[in-house]
Amino acid sequence: MSEILRTEKLTKNFGGLCAVKDMSFSIHEGNIMGLIGPNGAGKTTLINLISGAFPPSSGRIVFNDRDISRCKAYTANNMGIARTFQIVRIFSQLTARENILAALVDRRRNGPWKLIGKAMFSKSFALTDNKEASEEADRLLDFVGISRYGEEQAGSMPYALSKRLEIARAMATRPELLLLDEPSSGLNPAELVDQIELIKQINRQGITILIIEHVMKVIMDISHRLIVLHYGEKIAEGDPMKVYTDPQVVEAYLGDDTDAAH
Amino acid sequence: MSERTKKWLCRIIVLLALLFLPQVIKDRYFMHIVVISGIFMILCMSWNLLAGYTGLLNLGHAAFYGIGAYTSALLAIKLGVSPWFGLFAGGLVAAFFGFLLGIPSLRLSGPYLAITTIGFAEILRLVAVNWVELTRGSLGLSGVPLLTPIRLGGWSFKFYLEKDYYYVVLAAVVITFFCIRRLTGSQFGVSLQALRDDEPGARSIGIKTTGYKLAVFTVSAFFAGFAGALFAHFIRLVSPETMALHTTFDILTMTMIGGLGTIAGPILGAVTLTFFSEWLRYLEEVIKVDIRLVVYGFMLILTILFMREGLAGILRRLIERFKGGRPVSKGEDKT
Repeated sequence: MSEILRTEKLTKNFGGLCAVKDMSFSIHEGNIMGLIGPNGAGKTTLINLISGAFPPSSGRIVFNDRDISRCKAYTANNMGIARTFQIVRIFSQLTARENILAALVDRRRNGPWKLIGKAMFSKSFALTDNKEASEEADRLLDFVGISRYGEEQAGSMPYALSKRLEIARAMATRPELLLLDEPSSGLNPAELVDQIELIKQINRQGITILIIEHVMKVIMDISHRLIVLHYGEKIAEGDPMKVYTDPQVVEAYLGDDTDAAH
Repeated sequence: MSERTKKWLCRIIVLLALLFLPQVIKDRYFMHIVVISGIFMILCMSWNLLAGYTGLLNLGHAAFYGIGAYTSALLAIKLGVSPWFGLFAGGLVAAFFGFLLGIPSLRLSGPYLAITTIGFAEILRLVAVNWVELTRGSLGLSGVPLLTPIRLGGWSFKFYLEKDYYYVVLAAVVITFFCIRRLTGSQFGVSLQALRDDEPGARSIGIKTTGYKLAVFTVSAFFAGFAGALFAHFIRLVSPETMALHTTFDILTMTMIGGLGTIAGPILGAVTLTFFSEWLRYLEEVIKVDIRLVVYGFMLILTILFMREGLAGILRRLIERFKGGRPVSKGEDKT
């Protein structure tokens, strides 16, 4: 198995605060990598760095042997990295279908001016005229189980379903690497089971996944490897079961004896 | 009859009715108002592309309008360029300024963008006031030539009366409407709406938000400049007042009341408010009180509170009821 993503001594400072410090790790193609750690450990910052939401203070991110450290979010996506957000960021005034159709536009080949040209001069300009995209949108809606909500305004969808829509939207950009930021937050136990199954299915299609998760049941169930972050630093990495019982990790989560004495 | 033929039949009937309007209504004053409302339709449609579809609150739209008007007027007066060419030149020069104003908009949003755009329009207005050698200052450029007659073989069409201009404006509105409808209904349009709803979300699916903002500013300014050039050759006087903030607020009020972010909204808003304000002018003369702006403000508040989709939303709901409860999808609500 080859390596798809690698970070080298990745560091991000916000003013005096060091959110991520000297992070080096790699993800193998086709794997599910779990990312856990207490609140404020820098998990979301790490995903923001990889997806290009902001640039690192120092260090490198290498994706498919290309340095993407300075790439903007849209470039990172064009290269094959898609993501979801901790708090859903769907296009609330568009329908669920339009959300996916927007993501289905081949943006590697079409910039804004080219799309204007197509809108003005192509015979089938309308969004719905593209049969291929329409079918793909239907397939994705069905894949995440929200076919019934296709024509619904995304902003008025139930929360659990809007999280699924966000995953479908990310999938529509045909990523090689999918970054999931707490895909199960705010879900009830029944929805949680479905969500785990969905993530497994995505992985079975050959998509590599980096997932942040608080629910231990989820992370232990699905991840092939696990990284634990604490105060921006990696304190453990490896097989989920081993990491789970690592004394350092237990300490990070529960505090050690000296903490308890205070 | 299939849905498609019905649609086309509707369009043809509406178009024929519009073509015959000047034959029915001979009143010149009325036709003048119709032409002005047509120019405002183009302005509102172009502003709606920015504010309604992309969420960029541009309060300097009147500047593009003014640039188009001055460009075409100056070309015709100083260089003797054909006004027909001037219509496009006005649009192109405005588009260039649109691109320039787009650059700061990449880093600004919400109230900051609004204030920057007001500043932009104010600067251009002051340039027009003070560059007396070129623009004749606040006197304005008078004697802007009329559109030159079109000769086709032995048949010639002169542009002199309001009804002659009515046809030009009608063609301009129809062309603009179809361009904007194509833009908003396409992959380009859905990208704009995506970045309006959530910018980080849009970037996460590969939308180069900066590129789209520049493009939409340029396109929107083009149509506003085009409208300005039409206005210049119709009224035959261009003054710095064209670029004043109140013009932008007229555009804003019309679009909001018509229905922000809808296809039909700007058209409904422009025609309703142009006529309504003329009627209010009569009323003001009778009751001797300046109430126009009070009424506008009140209508704007009511729209924002109770009918976000404005007149277009009301129209859509009426059509829905008329068709027997069949929900009309967003794409279909057009005039």
